Amino acid sequence: MTERITYHKILGEIKHNPVPFNWNDQTLYGNAGESLTAALLANGIRTLRYHEKDGKPRGLYCNIGHCSECRCLINGVRNQRACMTPVRHGMSIEQQTELPHRIKGGR
Amino acid sequence: MYDTIIIGAGPAGLSAARILQHSQKVLIIDEYFHPGGRLLGQLYEEEKGSWWNGLKMADELYEDTKEKTEIKLSTSVYNVEFDETYTVYTTNGNFKSEHLIIATGAREKSTPLPGWDLPGVMTVGAAQVLTNFSRVKPGDKGVIVGVNPLSMVIGLELGYADIEVAKICLPQENLINSDTPREALNTLMSLGKSAPSKPLSLAAGIAETARPFHSTAVKLFPKNGVKAMGMPISIKEKIIRINGTEKVESVTVQKTDAAGTLIADTDRVIDCDFVCLSDGLAPLNEIASLLDLKHIYSEALGGYVPLHSEKMQTELPNLYVAGNITGIENAKIAIFQGELAAHQILNNEALSLNTLTKINNERKHAKVKFHKDLDDGKKMVQNFWSKLGKNPSQ
Ligand SMILES: Cc1cc2nc3c(=O)[nH]c(=O)nc-3n(C[C@H](O)[C@H](O)[C@H](O)COP(=O)(O)OP(=O)(O)OC[C@H]3O[C@@H](n4cnc5c(N)ncnc54)[C@H](O)[C@@H]3O)c2cc1C
Ligand code: FES
Repeated sequence: MTERITYHKILGEIKHNPVPFNWNDQTLYGNAGESLTAALLANGIRTLRYHEKDGKPRGLYCNIGHCSECRCLINGVRNQRACMTPVRHGMSIEQQTELPHRIKGGR
Repeated sequence: MYDTIIIGAGPAGLSAARILQHSQKVLIIDEYFHPGGRLLGQLYEEEKGSWWNGLKMADELYEDTKEKTEIKLSTSVYNVEFDETYTVYTTNGNFKSEHLIIATGAREKSTPLPGWDLPGVMTVGAAQVLTNFSRVKPGDKGVIVGVNPLSMVIGLELGYADIEVAKICLPQENLINSDTPREALNTLMSLGKSAPSKPLSLAAGIAETARPFHSTAVKLFPKNGVKAMGMPISIKEKIIRINGTEKVESVTVQKTDAAGTLIADTDRVIDCDFVCLSDGLAPLNEIASLLDLKHIYSEALGGYVPLHSEKMQTELPNLYVAGNITGIENAKIAIFQGELAAHQILNNEALSLNTLTKINNERKHAKVKFHKDLDDGKKMVQNFWSKLGKNPSQ
């Protein structure tokens, strides 16, 4: 399980402003303005997508926009980096999944 | 048309804007949604009781610039062209300027090893941003792979947030990282001289346990590692595999001899729910490459850096670089480099020289140093610049 650090020894308290967003048709709450990777992790979600080719689960990797491992379908647009997208009220984010292998007969 | 466009709202870019904005029309572009770049996750003790709080520093820089500088966030630059003026292509439109500063910072290097693609494996910087900026725990119990200044500092930061680090050790030898126990020990020792007070006592603790009489030190380093500042550090154990089906469940480590060779039948499993990979930092130089600038490779600087003068000039007129794109150093240096680029654009030689002195002083006394041979790397670039640099504005 993962959880929020509500009190930090050196940095002190952090203010929370929970907003609802949709993850694969499920309503979750994030802290307004935090990255979607942080919001999902705070909800215990690590698998952000299944690899296009082999269908293996993938999660955030660099968390600063360099690796594109966190690509998701965000507000209807594919391949958006979840770590670079702040969570907003009512936003929709969905997992991308393995692509059909048409040439190999949809293995 | 802008007088100056700055790519990157990290410490280098923001500090350049802070100076230029009083006499110029300035645009600063960053692809993240919050200004500050890699400052946002930084947190370490500089002197006893005095903390370097990067997030606070970022907010101060933003406060100082938000009125007079146009700041476009959530905007990625994907191309730049030069034809007397600069054209910057972004995901939010194209912009032109007379001067350009590239302050794109650094990226993390990380070693893939079996199981690296499982959810829960991340770079050590990802864990830093989650913990200190988003304040979400990367997990309950982590393992850090890679012994270097960044991984050590971030290991401590996880501790400040009460996140357990079960082990810090080396990866199995691979093309990117072939650190031996000796090199890892040297890293720990060099941290002791320059790093914040906590890692200092940490390295001192190791020195006491291991007695750094060069050849014997590695041999004496306990096989199971030492516990220093709450961090279990092993230089004679290597991670050989990350295990799990849907996500990280454990790592498998194996003991090595003093030369770093794995010893058979010594592997054991350590439970954890996240793993941080870390092989240090490299300058983020794609934009400079797009402009066809010559690049120089220096291990001490972290990788390829665009050819530049010590005053941040490049081969192209009115084009400057600042911050970690010129070599991996701490954020204070990046701030001074941004200021230096701004003074150059404003043709202020007196303030340029003054800032250069500040950079050299900070380099001597830096609390966080990324490479022991940094000065040699800097000298090499200056040598190349004096031979190859041809800035028409000089
Ligand atoms: C993960 C990580 C952790 C670090 N931790 C520490 C630490 O604890 N202590 C320390 O002293 N140093 C640390 N550093 C080193 C750090 O690079 C410097 O301290 C300092 O932040 C460098 O400043 P900068 O302005 O050069 O670059 P950065 O702070 O990296 O800022 C560059 C900015 O440019 C933006 N950018 C890059 N490319 C584009 C593009 N194409 N389009 C739009 N925007 C772009 C980025 O989003 C970023 O905000 C860390 C570096 C990294 C990568
Ligand atoms: S996690 Fe690397 S780009 Fe988002």
